[in-house]
Amino acid sequence: MPDGHPNLNGIWQAVNSANWNLQDHPAYAGPMWELGAIAAVPAGKSVVEGNDIPYKPEAAAKKQENFKNRHTEDPEAKCYMPGIPRANYMPYPFQIVQTAKDILFVYEYANSNRLVNMGKPIEDASDTWMGTNNGHWEGETLVIDVTGLNGLAWFDRAGNFASEKVHIVERFTRTSPDHLTYQATIEDPSVFTRPWTISMPLYRRVEKDAQLLEFKCTEFAEELLYGKYKKTGNGDRK
Amino acid sequence: MRIKLTNAVIAGALLLAAAPLWAHHAFEAEFDQNKPVTLVGKVTSMEWINPHSWIHIDVTDAGGNVTSWMIECGSPNIMLRRGFTKRSLETGTEISVKGYQAKNGTNRANGSSITFKDGRKLFVGGSNPDIPDDKK
Amino acid sequence: MSARQLALAIALSALVAAMPVAGQAPQKSYTPPKTPWGDPDLQGVWPGNMGVPMQRNAALGERTALTDDEFAKKQEQAKKQAQADSESTAASDTKVGIGPPSYWTERGKPTRQTSLIIDPPNGRLPPLTPEAEKYRKEARGGKGLPGEWRGAADSWEDLNIYYRCITRGLLGSVIPVVYNNGNQILQAPGYVVFRNEMIHESRVIPLDGRPHAGPDIRMYMGDSRGHWEGNTLVVETTNFTDKDAIGSNGAGYPGDPGYHSDQLKVIERFTRTGPKNLDYRITVIDAKTWIRPWTILLELQKDDNYQILEYACHEGNYAMGDILSGARTVEAASEPRP
Repeated sequence: MPDGHPNLNGIWQAVNSANWNLQDHPAYAGPMWELGAIAAVPAGKSVVEGNDIPYKPEAAAKKQENFKNRHTEDPEAKCYMPGIPRANYMPYPFQIVQTAKDILFVYEYANSNRLVNMGKPIEDASDTWMGTNNGHWEGETLVIDVTGLNGLAWFDRAGNFASEKVHIVERFTRTSPDHLTYQATIEDPSVFTRPWTISMPLYRRVEKDAQLLEFKCTEFAEELLYGKYKKTGNGDRK
Repeated sequence: MRIKLTNAVIAGALLLAAAPLWAHHAFEAEFDQNKPVTLVGKVTSMEWINPHSWIHIDVTDAGGNVTSWMIECGSPNIMLRRGFTKRSLETGTEISVKGYQAKNGTNRANGSSITFKDGRKLFVGGSNPDIPDDKK
Repeated sequence: MSARQLALAIALSALVAAMPVAGQAPQKSYTPPKTPWGDPDLQGVWPGNMGVPMQRNAALGERTALTDDEFAKKQEQAKKQAQADSESTAASDTKVGIGPPSYWTERGKPTRQTSLIIDPPNGRLPPLTPEAEKYRKEARGGKGLPGEWRGAADSWEDLNIYYRCITRGLLGSVIPVVYNNGNQILQAPGYVVFRNEMIHESRVIPLDGRPHAGPDIRMYMGDSRGHWEGNTLVVETTNFTDKDAIGSNGAGYPGDPGYHSDQLKVIERFTRTGPKNLDYRITVIDAKTWIRPWTILLELQKDDNYQILEYACHEGNYAMGDILSGARTVEAASEPRP
């Protein structure tokens, strides 16, 4: 970029199983037998350094409960914005729009986006789904300090989570023309006994005329959310 | 009377502006005109969410029984731009609410009038940038 | 208020009062600064100002601007409204309403513009095609298209796209309403991004001349492509669905343009006419719906103090569940619907 910083502009996407489950996991059945193998989860290697998510005992119990109820409770099923860090490894592309000043992340999933403030850090005024994002450069690495998250998003489909007190520090480094390394350190003393870190490559979408399309998924989640209030109820789905 | 002036001014503005004021939300579909409520309660939490924020209050009746109510307020973005933040309304604050109860019978009401217990207005008193001589 | 702030406020009012409103193309005398990669710089926060009606009062004919007298009256009215907005209905004997109190609003500053529509010259929508009239009347088995709530709440499909927190559409997202009229332009090499606060839209517009997506790909916000004509950014958008209305909140209230077809094509032109002024005009072309194209003009002012905040609509949409369950409760009690 003209200011000398690395150019992160482009359309990027994670290619791994993190959105299903951040940790090492075998293949396992999904919550709906009606979809057969389509709803099942592929095996995957952990993106969590050390494979351990250090929950406090009561939080570990909550994670198990999340997992048990994931087909109705996963905010992804409801088309809720995925929050940080999950937005960065959903199976949908996202675009980094790096201006001469601030940096915008536009995520195809649910039309989510976040503007990373690269000037003087601003304080979070309220809790939001995509957080308050303050960024700066450390050499070739974009470092983003994320606060003001609302604790309602999950970290994956397995029910991993944090509270609204979470503090996340992300690092984006371009390691080749078409690769980024993404790291996020997650800290929340009300949920975890210590900070923990995830790490993964992100790949550039290199096809000609790559662009984000629209996935405004609210209409696909309405039956799930409001079906029981419909005049005829969920019984006679067409 | 204050409320009449407000209505007249809105009507006048409508003649000139003809813009939809509250078209985005069918309040009449949500709340019941036949169920006015007056509540006094202590704030337990506030959801600073869109399209509307919600204040949670605990209302204690004469017999000492506590019921929880949710009060619908405006888009928090306006409040935040006027200087109110999530730290501005402390839990335990006592507020007075007048509105109408939800049609579905739950303990939800619209916050047509919300004041502190002593009558001071909630959410206003911050500056309104639309007023030409108000400071931002 | 400090003397400096007062002076600024007065200066701002004077600036607004002096702004030209014209149907013709914006003056080309201002040369905007350039981005480091050489594109005209349109960046900044350009919030919308409520108070200009979509369609012109017929009595005003072809006048595009209010007279000094009319504008003074409007400013006075706006000032009174803002004062009223700042007060809540708090007297113990006040009649309480089911609608929201007026302090929920952000109305912005009044302008002289007589209507958003500047073409046709009478400032009013052109007539609908017979096909569109028929479609609107007969849609959904005669129920019509979802617009303003008219009493039916059998399912979410009886409520418009905005109540469902899906989108306000391309024009709808910029037509100023009661609050959250945040618009922001960002630029990167080869791209312009147009962001709207309500409902958290971020339209990424490539400038490299690539073709539009194929016709089978349909989107609520369409598919945008941009190019420069001198210092004017021209954005052409196609590939719309037919599931949305033009207008800020969905169809139904008087003067709203209503639903468009999937043949809709929108051409936007952004021109900076001064350090703090943006001439933003939008042409709507939909031969299936209106018999001729029409154009709206938004004259926006830069306000980088305006904080665009997250508007997570669907995530907080208690109202949808309450409206539907409320209707079911009423039915169960066999009360007549209002």
